[in-house]
Amino acid sequence: MTTKQSMVTVEQFMDDPIAYFGESLTQMHSIPRDELEELQRQAMAIRFDQHRQSIELVGKLADRLGVTVLDEFNDVVPLFFSHTAFKSYPAALVDNKRFDLMTKWLGKLTSHDLSKVDTNGCNGIDDWIDRLDEQTPLEVITSSGTTGTLSIIPKDKHGAREGMQLWKICLFQTFGTEPTFEQLNPAVEVIWPNYAKGKLGHLRIANMIKQGFTGNDERKFHALYPDAIDTDLMFLASKMRAAASRGELDRLVIDPALAARKDEFIAMQARQPEDLDNFFTTIAEKLRGKRVFMIGTYGLMYDVAKAGLERGISGVFAKDSAILTGGGNKGAVLPDDYMDVIHEFLGVDRIQEGYGFSEQSAFHWACSEGRYNVQPWVIPFVLDPDTSEPLPRTGRQTGRAAVYDVLLKAHWGGVISGDEVTIDWDLHCPCGQTSVAFEHDIIRYSEKQGVDDDRITCAATHEVHNEAVNFMKAFES
Amino acid sequence: MSGAYTVPLFLRGEVITDDLVTFGTRSGATQFQAPDMARYVEQLPLPTPMAMADLNDVGFDEILDVLEALGNALTFDTNPHLQEAYEAAVLANPLPPDMLKNSYQILPPLFTRANVLELAETQVGLDYLNGWVPHALADGRELRVRAFGSRVVHIPAGNGGLVSAVTILRSVITRCDAIIKAPSNDPLTAVAIARTLADVAPNHPITKHLAVAYWKGGDVAVEERLYRPEHVEKIVAWGGLASVKHVTRYIQPGLEMIALDPKRSATIIGREAFGDDETMREVARRAAVDIGVANQEGCANARVIYAMTGTDPTGIANANKLGELIYEELVRLPAFISTPPPQPNRELYEHVEASRMTEDFYQVIGGEQREGAVIVSQFDSPVDYSAMLSGRVANIVPVDGIDKVTEAVTAYTQTIGIYPESLKHELRDTLPLFGAQRLTSLGYACSVPIAAPQDAIEPMRRMCKWIVEETCDPDVVIPLWRLGEAAAQV
Repeated sequence: MTTKQSMVTVEQFMDDPIAYFGESLTQMHSIPRDELEELQRQAMAIRFDQHRQSIELVGKLADRLGVTVLDEFNDVVPLFFSHTAFKSYPAALVDNKRFDLMTKWLGKLTSHDLSKVDTNGCNGIDDWIDRLDEQTPLEVITSSGTTGTLSIIPKDKHGAREGMQLWKICLFQTFGTEPTFEQLNPAVEVIWPNYAKGKLGHLRIANMIKQGFTGNDERKFHALYPDAIDTDLMFLASKMRAAASRGELDRLVIDPALAARKDEFIAMQARQPEDLDNFFTTIAEKLRGKRVFMIGTYGLMYDVAKAGLERGISGVFAKDSAILTGGGNKGAVLPDDYMDVIHEFLGVDRIQEGYGFSEQSAFHWACSEGRYNVQPWVIPFVLDPDTSEPLPRTGRQTGRAAVYDVLLKAHWGGVISGDEVTIDWDLHCPCGQTSVAFEHDIIRYSEKQGVDDDRITCAATHEVHNEAVNFMKAFES
Repeated sequence: MSGAYTVPLFLRGEVITDDLVTFGTRSGATQFQAPDMARYVEQLPLPTPMAMADLNDVGFDEILDVLEALGNALTFDTNPHLQEAYEAAVLANPLPPDMLKNSYQILPPLFTRANVLELAETQVGLDYLNGWVPHALADGRELRVRAFGSRVVHIPAGNGGLVSAVTILRSVITRCDAIIKAPSNDPLTAVAIARTLADVAPNHPITKHLAVAYWKGGDVAVEERLYRPEHVEKIVAWGGLASVKHVTRYIQPGLEMIALDPKRSATIIGREAFGDDETMREVARRAAVDIGVANQEGCANARVIYAMTGTDPTGIANANKLGELIYEELVRLPAFISTPPPQPNRELYEHVEASRMTEDFYQVIGGEQREGAVIVSQFDSPVDYSAMLSGRVANIVPVDGIDKVTEAVTAYTQTIGIYPESLKHELRDTLPLFGAQRLTSLGYACSVPIAAPQDAIEPMRRMCKWIVEETCDPDVVIPLWRLGEAAAQV
């Protein structure tokens, strides 16, 4: 029997965990496991009930599977989306500029009402995303794939604000001590070792970070390249890559307006060495010794650190700076001492690591033992990698990572990843956090397969046949 | 750690199982062992081109006798080498056991006299294989042409034992010296046929001109020492960029590549199919076979099916109905032709499930148990993941006219199954311009003829060296020296 009081508790836990845990990292990861699981179970049932009504595709899937209520954690597993759910629209819709149909498609994936969106005269993906930004609560993020479509995840502005707040809590607080005023209101300059703007994938985060960490103060936001990356151009590159894999490059019709932009793009690439020099000049002259927040994948961090050291810059930032990295190597091979190189350049006390995928509300931060402690509003699962059946929530289990994120309101929070993870369910991590944790070594199944595989068949499969279309690779790291 | 089975080295009649090293087939799931080819690679090629002489002297009747004896000995139930190959393939190949067994049971008829003669005559010409064929040229010279065998390395595809068998057959008929790199997904078929050959024709030149070995594709320690013009003249390479790029770096004058690229196939169903229920059912049955054979692992299988129903509501309804019928026929196919795939492609099904939820654009029939599925596009484009279709998953695309179909026919398109015959006739002069290589009656896409060009080339003619001998009578063919004299007198 749920009392009214505990109902309020659950709702605050799932709708505003920051307030629920008193803005404290320590509180978030000190809640007893049983107590947390009970909260999670109730929150999952409530969120499912909301989303069944408000997100058309969730309702349809639940109806088809005959699911009406969720009692146990594993009940939600059949309702999980794979990454394909967010790119199930036909790519032809973008080619034909049918952004009305794109909006209708997206409308079935979000709890927000998109029926009033005006897409009249909309001439590309960037334009469409601008319209969604202006006319709806959404702040979608996109990423490129191999089949010539971009995934489009209907995140919203509320989630973006909340996400940045959560990042700050995890970045500046230390587990075991309650936050100080200074930790809750950190003053930092932001180093963004990437393109300044863009609506593709992580570039979208640039604006969120600028807003969340500097209050939109351009003077405190330092991007490696000052330019924006055009999503439509990336969509074209993604299409070219897919066309190349199908042997259809000779059939690809390129929007002339977009083809013209390729020259701009080439000019932008030509400016990059100069941009890189300017970036390091700024770091060396204006930011030396300053407290910064810097985020980037391992590969990106390493490249920047190496380029900095080559220019004679080392130990450059204040020791209490916040540095966040992660994201796998994306196939790039880094030397064994890559962390030492990054440390030498940055000169900071600690480098934090996060694990997550874009469908979730926030990263899971690595603890002092190197394990990624799962955020309390996220219910983790380890699935059989082939069948997606849940593995037991006991002992040490290795399989495909999946999560149900009860904090997500704008879109469905149940997703299956492409990552192989290990969870030791019975472990109480020596770091002191009570939360369940992913072990440090995480690998993508796609990277695991194909290793040592020299099988030959006569049937053509996905394979990139034209190195020239790989020009976008650099922007995906 | 020792592997589940051993892939011996067949070295011109001798079977070697020493110096074993271990290989994984896929993600380390199954392992096998094979002799370390870095140690044996020097013994693979012929010591000198002159060593082709004995093979060159073998008469064609003798070739027919040896191949017939080989075919008779390739009876699955009594041949231990084939049984061993089957056991290995069950572990290494995604096809189910019944189907793999069937792929061995179809081997003996390939080697019959009638089949060998047809292949030799149509794909090269017996006269050219067995002697000097005379021609008289317009300038009066007499020309004689003969097809000689070459020294060839083969890198065959491994989806089914047929490819290895055809490789050996083509090689023997053309009197080529053959070094076969066994495919890791069908590691033992070529060796099994070679060992059977050694049983029926020990010490015969045909046996001595065959070697089968496994090394990992791209292993520089082996390939750098083997792929040289002084050792081999041609490399027949199946497979896509990943396998071919290992080879291309060695191509140079004196060493050519015969590429049998990976392909995909398509299907076109004309308006006539939708006239009445009985015709539609018959068409569905034929299409289901083209999709289902050997679980759609091959290049000739149907994948995207263009239905010329039109895209108005009636047309879409017809396409959906055809989808239902094809699905019914697909799951009804007997197990030696088609089964639910033992290893369905997970990523493909993630896309299929996403399409199932995108009803405005797709209708998905079946697939809930990953047994195969039919996705009917509700507009005139294939699914964006069409290149992934396998394991009996097909995509029906309703179109208003043939333009939408030709848009999708490319250099990668091999077979197009067409219904009815009149439509095939209408399209046969157009489709090849876009890339199609073989047009066939609906239902026969996977009954691929061996006595025919493959992938728009003639591999057997390409495997031969075409040698010319000329006789020029100075009284008939005006020689240069007389031209010189004539010029001097002027």
